[in-house]
Formats: sequence, C-alpha cells, structure tokens
Amino acid sequence: MTNIVHVVNQFFAGIGGEEKADIPVGASDGAIGAGLGMQAALGDRGKVVATIFCGDNYFHAHAEEAMTAVVEEIRSRAPALVIAGPAFGSGRYGVACAEICESVSQALRIPCVTAMYPDNPGVEIYRGFHNAGVFLLPTRETAAGMQEALAALARFAYRLGDGEEIGPAREEGYLPRNIRRLERTSTTGAERATEMLLATLADEPVVSEIPIENWDRVEPAAPVTDLAHANIAVVTTSGVVPWGNPDGFRTYRNTSWRKYNVSELKALEPKQWEAVHGGYNTSFMNQNPHYGVPLDALRDLEAENVIGKLYPAYYVLPGNQGAPSVMKRIGHEIAADLRAAGVDGVLLVST
Amino acid sequence: MPVAQVSAMYPLAEQVGASRIVKGVQIPHPLGDPGLPPETDSKLRRKIVETALAALKTEVHEPTVFSPDNS
Repeated sequence: MTNIVHVVNQFFAGIGGEEKADIPVGASDGAIGAGLGMQAALGDRGKVVATIFCGDNYFHAHAEEAMTAVVEEIRSRAPALVIAGPAFGSGRYGVACAEICESVSQALRIPCVTAMYPDNPGVEIYRGFHNAGVFLLPTRETAAGMQEALAALARFAYRLGDGEEIGPAREEGYLPRNIRRLERTSTTGAERATEMLLATLADEPVVSEIPIENWDRVEPAAPVTDLAHANIAVVTTSGVVPWGNPDGFRTYRNTSWRKYNVSELKALEPKQWEAVHGGYNTSFMNQNPHYGVPLDALRDLEAENVIGKLYPAYYVLPGNQGAPSVMKRIGHEIAADLRAAGVDGVLLVST
Repeated sequence: MPVAQVSAMYPLAEQVGASRIVKGVQIPHPLGDPGLPPETDSKLRRKIVETALAALKTEVHEPTVFSPDNS
C-alpha cells in the first residue's frame, strides 16, 4: 500500500468555485472532493492520506507563501508520492500543479504525477523543468474526462509506488519532458542510421532518436516598401466589438474571430463599441475604444497620405486564455483573409 | 506580410519570437494613456501608430522592439 498526498484546487476540493478562488492553502486528512474518486481508482493499492488544497487565485497571488505551505503540509505527512490534479484545461490550476510537482520533487525527492489537457499552459512549464521525477499525463479538456484521468493517474501511482522503472514518454504515454536517456542497443549508430535512411527512402515511418524541438520560429516578413500606397489593416486581441457583442464572443477561450466594417467611420465612439475580455480591466477600452483600434490616428494618417489606405474592416477576437493550437489556426485564417484582400501590412494590437 | 505588434508586454512578445514589436503603454490601454488630457492622449496614440508604421518599413531578422519614445 502506497501512501499518497493529493493536491487539488478549491473547486475539486469541493469548497467552491470562482468565489472561493482566494482561499489560502489548507489540508484535510484522507480523500475529499475529487480525491474520493482518486481513492476509488487506487483501490487497495494506494491510500490518499491527505488532501492539500489551495485557491486558484491565492496560489498565483501569493506564490512563495503558498508553495512553502504546500511543501510543508506534504513533508509533515511523509508520503511515498504526490498526485496533483487532474487540472484538465484549467490554466491557473494546471500551472499550479506543474509548479507544485516541481517544488515537491526538488524539496522532498519523491515522485510526483499530475494530469491535464495538452494545451494547458502548465504543460509548457512542466516541459521547461526537465525533471525526471515528475510525470504529466494527458487528459481531455474538461472534467468529462475525469474517470479516465483518475484511472491513468492511479495506474501510474501504483507503479511509482512500487519503485518501478518508468520507460520513455512515447512508450508510457506521459508527455515528453525533453530528457535524453542512454539506452543499450544491439546495433551500432551507423547501422541504425542506415536503417533510418532506407526506411525514409521507402516512405516508411521513422522515429528519430534525437527529435528536433519544434519552436515554431516565424521568419520576419519583408518590410512594406511603399507605405504611401500600402493597404494597412488592424488586427486586435483586445476584444473591442460593436456594442452588445452581436457575435457572442466569450471573455475567454474563444475559438473564432470576426471582422467589423468601419469604412464609413472616422472614429469609434464609446457606447457604440465595447471590449469583451476576461483578462484585463476593460473600463478604459470601453471609455475610449481607440486604445484597442486606433481608427482616429489611422484616419488622420490616411488623409495625410502617410499610408495608402486603411482596410475597410478590422479583425478581432478576445485573446484571453486562448489555447495555442486554436490561436495558431485563427492566425492562419486571418492571414489568409488579409492576403486575399491584398493587405500589405498589419498593425496587431494585443492586450 | 509584415506585422507590427503593439504590446505592453513587449518582453513576452520578444520571448515568443514576434518580429516587429512596438512598446504599448499599459495592458488595458496599449494605445494611449487615460491619465493624460484627451489631446495629449491622442498625440501619444498617433506617435505609437507612427512607430508601428515605421516598424513595418524596417527590415528585421530577429525579434526587434521599437520604442515610441525615441523613434
């Protein structure tokens, strides 16, 4: 039987939602909230001896204090391992899980396992630590994937508790941490390279032994050569939309974009436009939408022929908590639209 | 096509590899400062937009930050 401490946020501890996100670090003996399901998944092979919880906002607003408290609560219970989450697509919670696993692993030298959606910002943090003692398992985006996430965490927990050697990410199913390990093989490098070459030539699948990290570097585009004849467009993630938010943008995690025609306008008047965005205080933008879409300045520059013309519409989505894969798709879609419209240069206003 | 990104979080834009980055004022109001009288605020906005247009005309090979103060 492996003794386990489970770390969850205020919501999965069963304490409350956003209104309780400011509660400090607390602890409860045994399993509570989502931990009850965790205990059920572990069966008689593992015991959740305590649940540590913390408010999503508190953890980030009092980072050092919160982390010290979490580590000390865990230390006092001397578990064999720690499970954090699953956090699914929740960004604050996912980041907290990744950071707690790292700190606990460093301070207490016990294995830690967490689980979340692969686009959760916590995943990048986990990868950045390159810690061989921390494992992150992929989950679905929402808590609809709770049962399978708990089952996967439990399976990992047994094995870690038994001191079993965990193999490479591609075989074990946890997300890669970009750690390179030595392995014995029966063939030399020259033989393996030749095999790979032959497989490549035969169009067969090839797995590199040293995957190249994909940083998605975008080459800077060539500059605009003739601004006085250029067609300039505005794209913004500020969430400035017509008053009433006719297309129903959400304040976070949007998956689509819109463009709004301003060809007849010289300026954006307050009460006709508003900012929809859950990640910053929108009151300034509501009082003066030009903080996000500088139509006033661009109309002047157009009249003075500093720029050739302003494209008739501006492009927008509230960028708050956008998943990188979704944002990448949206970027491609907007770029295709701009290109089709013959736009020469873009002013991107981000908040 | 070239993109000039106005951002108050310009170190972050630089870190993720944006090409042409223009310093914005603050996260909730990148293109101006509500603390200024309206006329000065408009001038500041124009200055930032001009800096962005200058960035679009400039050849860059790596993330480059353009500052409205000394452009």
